[in-house]
Amino acid sequence: MQENYLAKWLSGELSDEELREFESSPEYASYQKLKDVSSKLMAPDFDSEKALMRLKDEHIANAPRVISLNPFKKFLRVAAVIAILLAGSYFYINSLNENVSTEFAERSEVVLPDNSEIFLNVDSRISYSKKNWDKNRNIDLDGEAFFKVAKGKKFTVSTEHGTVAVLGTQFNVENRNGFFEVTCYEGLVSVTHKNQETKLSAGSSFMVINGKIIKTGTPKGTIPSWMNNESSFESIPLKYVLAELERQFNIKVSTENIDTNLLFTGSFNNTDLNMALKSISTPSKTNFKIDGDNVLFYAGNTLQ
Amino acid sequence: MSNVCEDHIFSEIFKKHSKTVFNFIFYKFGNEEKAHDAVQEAFVKLWQNCSKVSPDKAKSYVYTVANNLYLNVIKAEKVRLKHADSLVNDRTNESPEFLMEEKEYKEKLDNALNALPDNQRTTFLLNRVDGKKYAEIAEMESVSVKAIEKRMHLALKSLREHIDGI
Repeated sequence: MQENYLAKWLSGELSDEELREFESSPEYASYQKLKDVSSKLMAPDFDSEKALMRLKDEHIANAPRVISLNPFKKFLRVAAVIAILLAGSYFYINSLNENVSTEFAERSEVVLPDNSEIFLNVDSRISYSKKNWDKNRNIDLDGEAFFKVAKGKKFTVSTEHGTVAVLGTQFNVENRNGFFEVTCYEGLVSVTHKNQETKLSAGSSFMVINGKIIKTGTPKGTIPSWMNNESSFESIPLKYVLAELERQFNIKVSTENIDTNLLFTGSFNNTDLNMALKSISTPSKTNFKIDGDNVLFYAGNTLQ
Repeated sequence: MSNVCEDHIFSEIFKKHSKTVFNFIFYKFGNEEKAHDAVQEAFVKLWQNCSKVSPDKAKSYVYTVANNLYLNVIKAEKVRLKHADSLVNDRTNESPEFLMEEKEYKEKLDNALNALPDNQRTTFLLNRVDGKKYAEIAEMESVSVKAIEKRMHLALKSLREHIDGI
């Protein structure tokens, strides 16, 4: 008899010879009865329709399939990356300095975290750390700005020409190429230029032109004239006046046969170019010609 | 391409195989409740992974899941099977002695089945009650056909010995 012949018998895989041999064995009757009776056994009832309903009600309604989970996981991955980038850049940007700048013929007003105010004149740039403002009130300035400083810790304005330190006051700082002027309108301002400290009380100015400290008169008014759309000059070389004119109107100024080191006293309006040009040309006895954005000043006796 | 995630395909697979999954677990552990739960859990798993399991692999997938569910967890209880009444009904002229003998035989068979090792009983009943071929049972149990034949042979031998009182 072959291996597992009982199994082979049940599945009808015995050869005729083997079958005959098995049928003649004494146990055969028992196995035959077992085969008959066991085929009439029944498993407990199972209603597959009901089971499917239960499955759909209890599980599938609540259990999301992987196929629908997958895009969500991808979304989560992308969202996590974005969140990390955002958080990272937030901290990075926070640690960076705040920068405010104005172009030619553009002005701006900045309110600092302690409610100090900065009015930026044309073509000027400031930068400061918003994050550390409470600990360190420091402004880097390039250009001209008027400061209204709220009372508090030392407030410093750093420029390439020197630093200005105050506790709470209103003052104007002009820091241009070769020109540095600080005017105090309220309180007390300390100006450090080339390691030399000068104290400015309200209504006084400190001016450096080409490295030379120049004595100045008393400034008029309680705010810089440019805050009222007027640029005023007192014994200032004409080239600085013309440079300011360029900045205020975003124009290009050139001169012909004119000594731009001659001192100029006067003012010009920052909103009306024609009026401003006349305000400069009349006292300096020069003529001017406008060609688009270009203005040419020439000596009164030069033929054009 | 047909996909198990499609509702009608999934339902079709369920109707075709859920009864066998149920019996498979019931024969093994003799616990109807657990068998019902096994059906639910196996098909929930199939549904959750419907995008990964192709329709032709779904069948062996649910058997494997159901089989692994209660592995080493529950001890086999008594397997209570119903005996088809037709055996008695179409022979109304049997003598009371014969009917008595039949009843006794069924009881002996029940006891003998419960005395079998789980895997032998499962193999035997899947074949005798559900008419599953050895190859199909082998697939469900993840073993070779030869191993199933061995289990079947040993099951028959043990049952006969138990019933005949050897």
